[in-house]
Amino acid sequence: MVSAGRVPLVSMRGIEKTFVGVKANSGVDMDLERGEVHTLLGENGAGKSTLMNILSGLYTADSGAIVINGEPRILRSPRDAIRAGIGMVHQHFMLVPTLSVWENVSLGLDDQPFFLDKGRVIEKVGDIQKRYGINVDPMAPIWQLSIGEQQRVAIIKTLYRSADILILDEPTSVLTPQETRALFRTIRQIKAEGHGVIFISHKLDEVMDISDRITVLRKGRKVASVNVKDVTKESLAEMMVGRKVVFQIGKTLQNPGRVVLEARELVVRGDRGRVRVDHFSLDVRQREILGLAGVSGNGQGELCDALAGIRKTEKGSIKVDGCELAGRRTREFQKRGVSYIPADRIGTGLVTGMNLRENIALRKYWRKEFTRFRLFIHWENIAGRTGQLVERYSVVNPGLGFPARMLSGGNLQKLMLARELSDDPRVVIAVQPTWGLDVSATLFVRETLLEQRDRGAGVLLVSDDLEEILSLSDRIAVIHNGRLMGIVEDPDSVTEEQMGLMMAGTCLEEFSPPSGDGSLGQEKEVTPSP
Amino acid sequence: MRYRIVLRRRYKTGVFFEGILPVISIIAALLFAGGALLLFGVSPLAAYRAMFRGALGSGYGLSEVIVKAIPLVISGVAVALAFRMKVWNIGAEGQIYLGALASAAAVRFLPSGNQVVMLLAMTAAAIIAGGAWGYIAGFLKSRWNVNEVITTLMLNYVGIHLADHFIYGPWRDPSSLGFPMTPPFPPSARLPLFFGTRVHLGVLAAVLLVLLFRLVIRWTRWGFEIRAIGDNPRAAEYAGINYGRNVALLMFISGAIAGLAGMTEIAGLQGRLQPGFSPGYGYTAIIVAWLARLNPWGIMMVSFFMGVLLVGGDTIQVIMRLPLASVQVIQGCILFSVLGFEFFRNYKVLLLRRERE
Amino acid sequence: MKKFALGLVCLMMVIGVSVAFAFQPVAEKDLKIGFVYVGPVGDGGWTYMHELGRVDMEKAFPGVESFFVESVPEGPDSVRVMETFIRNGARLVFATSFGYMDFVQEVAAKNPEVIFMHCSGYKTADNVGNYFGRMYQARYLSGLVAGKMSKKNVIGFVAANPIPEVIRGINAFTLGARKSNPDVKIKVVWLFSWFDPAREKEATLALIDAGADVIAMHADSGAAPQTAEEAGVYVVGYNNDMSHYAPTMHLTAPIWNWGMVYKHVVGQVTEGTWKSSDIWWGLKEEFVGLAPISDAVPTDIVALVEAEKAKIIDGSWDVFHGPVKNQKGEVVVKSGAKMTDGEMLGMNWFVEGVEGDIPK
Repeated sequence: MVSAGRVPLVSMRGIEKTFVGVKANSGVDMDLERGEVHTLLGENGAGKSTLMNILSGLYTADSGAIVINGEPRILRSPRDAIRAGIGMVHQHFMLVPTLSVWENVSLGLDDQPFFLDKGRVIEKVGDIQKRYGINVDPMAPIWQLSIGEQQRVAIIKTLYRSADILILDEPTSVLTPQETRALFRTIRQIKAEGHGVIFISHKLDEVMDISDRITVLRKGRKVASVNVKDVTKESLAEMMVGRKVVFQIGKTLQNPGRVVLEARELVVRGDRGRVRVDHFSLDVRQREILGLAGVSGNGQGELCDALAGIRKTEKGSIKVDGCELAGRRTREFQKRGVSYIPADRIGTGLVTGMNLRENIALRKYWRKEFTRFRLFIHWENIAGRTGQLVERYSVVNPGLGFPARMLSGGNLQKLMLARELSDDPRVVIAVQPTWGLDVSATLFVRETLLEQRDRGAGVLLVSDDLEEILSLSDRIAVIHNGRLMGIVEDPDSVTEEQMGLMMAGTCLEEFSPPSGDGSLGQEKEVTPSP
Repeated sequence: MRYRIVLRRRYKTGVFFEGILPVISIIAALLFAGGALLLFGVSPLAAYRAMFRGALGSGYGLSEVIVKAIPLVISGVAVALAFRMKVWNIGAEGQIYLGALASAAAVRFLPSGNQVVMLLAMTAAAIIAGGAWGYIAGFLKSRWNVNEVITTLMLNYVGIHLADHFIYGPWRDPSSLGFPMTPPFPPSARLPLFFGTRVHLGVLAAVLLVLLFRLVIRWTRWGFEIRAIGDNPRAAEYAGINYGRNVALLMFISGAIAGLAGMTEIAGLQGRLQPGFSPGYGYTAIIVAWLARLNPWGIMMVSFFMGVLLVGGDTIQVIMRLPLASVQVIQGCILFSVLGFEFFRNYKVLLLRRERE
Repeated sequence: MKKFALGLVCLMMVIGVSVAFAFQPVAEKDLKIGFVYVGPVGDGGWTYMHELGRVDMEKAFPGVESFFVESVPEGPDSVRVMETFIRNGARLVFATSFGYMDFVQEVAAKNPEVIFMHCSGYKTADNVGNYFGRMYQARYLSGLVAGKMSKKNVIGFVAANPIPEVIRGINAFTLGARKSNPDVKIKVVWLFSWFDPAREKEATLALIDAGADVIAMHADSGAAPQTAEEAGVYVVGYNNDMSHYAPTMHLTAPIWNWGMVYKHVVGQVTEGTWKSSDIWWGLKEEFVGLAPISDAVPTDIVALVEAEKAKIIDGSWDVFHGPVKNQKGEVVVKSGAKMTDGEMLGMNWFVEGVEGDIPK
């Protein structure tokens, strides 16, 4: 696609960036042409975000050159980058929740009069919406919008600043399949207008769908830049990981046993006092994985917090092995064998300032085998246990006495799994257990969850990644806005489209028995632009 | 060629930063303050010699340094314990006053000729009163999430004025010619002194508390809970650690320890209660705890160092005929420099060559 | 060696309990003197006047070496300061505030060869004497001036701490003011602090708000006169001539002349005649006095002041000679009677004409 003599929109050459002794980018080259979607692919920690943060002016490269439209540029701040026509949509959108859409769009503009010209801003926002097919009410306050809509606002914001180069950092992780499709339509429109789009993702299916070209990074270095038509999913994965990857995980059939976790009519409030879980009921049986699908932020976190005894339930019952636990202390849940792998491993699941032993002790220190005279902690026993677990879960670590923050993301997750899955839990609640992990760590986590299932635990798996839910679950519950949309007894019988509709708020009973995928056919007809 | 300065957070510090940097920072401070002394027309070397000889050059100086360090160590432990859980107990001063007030009450209302009985009663009174004072803030925090910085700070004023009320009012010594002070304590209410110096039994309490602090933090379940909450309150909640109960208990114990500092100060040194008996120990304790990075041995070392500055400061005034202000300049320089070098422990400063434009 | 010295000290204490020490004369060049100051020497008041006295003494005895430590809290820290003096060769220590009393006793007991003079206290020992002045006499004279200058018949009094020394001063001032103006009332505001310029200023403003058109004060800084000057209200200073703080509104000030005592004591020590005593000097010894009276004050009042001063100096009359009534109008000192020094030193009631309470 790179034709000789044409000046690329962006040309990054020999980008180097080192953090505290870690080379995040090492001699990375990347070009972006007008009218193309260029995907940056790589495992977590491969240096994708670093490279894009350099391009958007958040970081300055230690060395290397950035040429935009044939002009060498030095980007010292996001402001410089915006002036150079670069707009980035981050994973967290950086919008002010209390302000309206148009106010957020005009926020931080360079040449604003003291009194905002509301009419002009709204008019221009309307133009952008029409041109790119983005649908959102400019007068609505941000807090009323769904995550998908907020993402659109962020995109409008960059387009409003006449960005020529649009960077989207893992944009699909917060979207339903339908929303993802809408986003892809917008991306194609942007591309058709002659802009360039850099797309960051690690979901290979999407990457194959939207990209024109793909640059793969591994450990801070560029592995290859390839045209999408020259590669397959498998070859991309191999480039990413550096070896052959087996996608299939061995999932055996199991006969689910008794119900181990039973929730009835749960009502749970969120941190700000709003009802986030609304009369929700579910059962998890022995030897099964119940997948909980939903767009993130629909009450999954609050539900799982409640089921693990960390959040107060306002109404309803939670039974573990038939024993009522609603309203009891967290420790009662732990004693009954409820393990919990929260989504936020750094913020909730681990204490990164504490060492490995202490992190293993975190949810076990009160147990008899780890205390002396009920008052003192038996650190020798904990150290022994930590040593075993670290080995069994192959947590790569500098030493048990080092703070957990020195571990990489995957190893942090393994450390948490090691703690939560060790003492044969009855119930395992895992929220986003593979989020942000590289391919091999992801496989490890998935296999571990299946092992727990096969051993006899009841597993509740929450994930934004529909693919993950579909491939691991024995049954799937769908949550929307804190309510149960339905339980799919056979994951193979449901299409992604139907799942997407449920995730967007349609109850299972509302559409015809799962047989075909005709209802959303027109969406499928959208063909990739040349 | 142009350069720019870049700050990088350090994630790991070695022996250099833990052991050697503090020494370098003190040397830098002495050089810095030396410049100031030259402006006063005084030889810095002579001044420093006077200072360190006064504080460390004799058994007496050393004993006085220890005397000054005792209340700082005890209240430093009180503050550091709370800070370990990231509960900002700014109220050690008020808790010290309450402890002193309660032990003075014990002397007044439960007098005993038996020294052991009397001192135990005073200690119990001080612990309960100081603890209760801390518990107020802890309870408010646990029940209604009231910011403890505000409550403890406010309770300082209440505590000090409460003590003043009794000292100026009903407990005033009739034979003091109306001067605001309680009657002197009987000998049974005085802490035993050691070696003919003013080093009193409080020194044992201080050392014991430091050891206990270490023991609790490192080896007990409760200490582990405190650290977990301090490092990551959400993870602690996830681990099933009850924040509310711990914050109330912690503030009680922190206050009780500070109260003990008040008791040892009046029973060990003062021999009566009078207004302003604590020259801000509760506030200095915050600096001590912070400089010590909440480390028990650090608290001892920093308190001792503070004592050296105070005791040596007298000698400088006497020998060098320097005004108090110049002594405070030296003390300020040293504290400032030690705190300033903390910055270098936390950040790496790099001088990078700018890319050519 | 140290233990031995300590034992020796104890032995000497046991033997010497009732035997007055005979202090040998100390040659001027061998005499080092330590001064414990309660405030900073720059306070422009109490400590500043002691510092002037110390300098005055050094001029009179050029061979003597003296040093001071300022802002010493009236607590156990003062022990360390005094010990530091002694360890640096001091043979004589002046402790210039009441709060040092017990600590002077403590250090004196351990250092029987050192002479201590404690300002305004009442405890003595073989090597501890007290010194203070009959400031009430000068206060009375300043009251004569202030009473006459008040047009609204309200005088405000900014008072440090409710102790006899201050109460005595307020009473003497009131007796003087009501002698020259029988209708005048004295309103008292307590600071509960000796040196706190901010509170001194606030108290002054509060009194002016309450209608006072003359301000008098007993505090260690010049904040009250400064405030009065800014507000355009007459003021009677204290400690030293405070007219530089209030060039137009300063009427006069009862002042200290500490140099008189310091020279006297140092003279005794060098001659070997010092022995423990209470020095309580007044106008006669020129230990206390009155700063120059402002030109704004009518000459007849100046004459009255001179006349009253003469009576006090020749001993024919003193301030607390009866009749003296208390706040309720009851006669406390009968006509013809007079208060003893002891009664004056423990004074804890206000005379008629004072508005305010003594905190109990």
